[in-house]
Amino acid sequence: MMSVATIVALVIGVWGQRLIGAFALGPWLDRQPRLTRMAGLIPAAVVMAVIVQLTVARGRTLEFDARLVGVAVAGVLVWRRAPFIVVVLAAAAVTAALRAVT
Amino acid sequence: MSASAAPTRLSTIDFATMALTFFSLGVTLQVALIDAGTSAGRALVASSVIFSATSQFAWLAVREGGGSEWAAVLAGWVVASRYGILATSLVPRLPAGVARRAAAALNAFDPNVAIAVQQPEPQLVEREFWRTTSAMMLGWFSGIAVGTFLGNVVGDTARLGLDAVFPAALLAIIGNLLRTRDGFVAGIAGGLICLVLLPFVPAGLPIILSVFGAALAASPRRVAAR
Repeated sequence: MMSVATIVALVIGVWGQRLIGAFALGPWLDRQPRLTRMAGLIPAAVVMAVIVQLTVARGRTLEFDARLVGVAVAGVLVWRRAPFIVVVLAAAAVTAALRAVT
Repeated sequence: MSASAAPTRLSTIDFATMALTFFSLGVTLQVALIDAGTSAGRALVASSVIFSATSQFAWLAVREGGGSEWAAVLAGWVVASRYGILATSLVPRLPAGVARRAAAALNAFDPNVAIAVQQPEPQLVEREFWRTTSAMMLGWFSGIAVGTFLGNVVGDTARLGLDAVFPAALLAIIGNLLRTRDGFVAGIAGGLICLVLLPFVPAGLPIILSVFGAALAASPRRVAAR
């Protein structure tokens, strides 16, 4: 259950970082090319970690099941620049089909 | 959700594709939140006001993994840090005026900023930004409405393969970034950090510590090796 406090905290983080970026950090960040480069790469690293958690973990144990195959297919489709809706439906269909036959 | 492949202006087909993308994303997120035990009404409010699928998925991944609330919120903040960077590149290109700049900054996402910054003059930057944003919002809000309904009726989400949909959706969101060399290195490093640490450290920490994957990809040694 997402608590009200969680929602408020996420709103502050998501909206606040934009204002800080736009009005406070911008001019300073312009003089820090390395930091800017790193910040631009954070979503690749962190979102990939979230993907790993959602794909091969059950709590704190690693668990490799049909999900992994579905996400692997999605990975290939993303690489081939397939539309979002195609990626999502293929991941669901492959995973569901594997579960149906095993 | 393209960044590098973004069109310079949004055609009607691009507008529809953008709306459909955010529609699917909204449905997906809503079903995930409700499946994880958030009430339909609360999930609808959350997705309306937070309006960031990646942050909400990050929060969900940590909580589902057994992580603490603060770790989950922190993970949501970390993935939202990119919005600050996007706002940084958008705002100086907009027409002057704190209010209109703040309004645009608060709605900075990957696709609308990518399209807006390609415009030659401030008025056009602002116009294309809001045109793209309206396509995203149209898709998002109808998506979370439909997803809230579906989340209540869908039943066994695992049987339908919906648990694979969430990571697949995230993969599509960062697809363009992963196709760049540095983005690929950062993604592999972040993913490996999470995979290796997962069984050994408190839940949620692997996701937060994965920021070091970005630091590794941006390290001076790698840049020099080019």
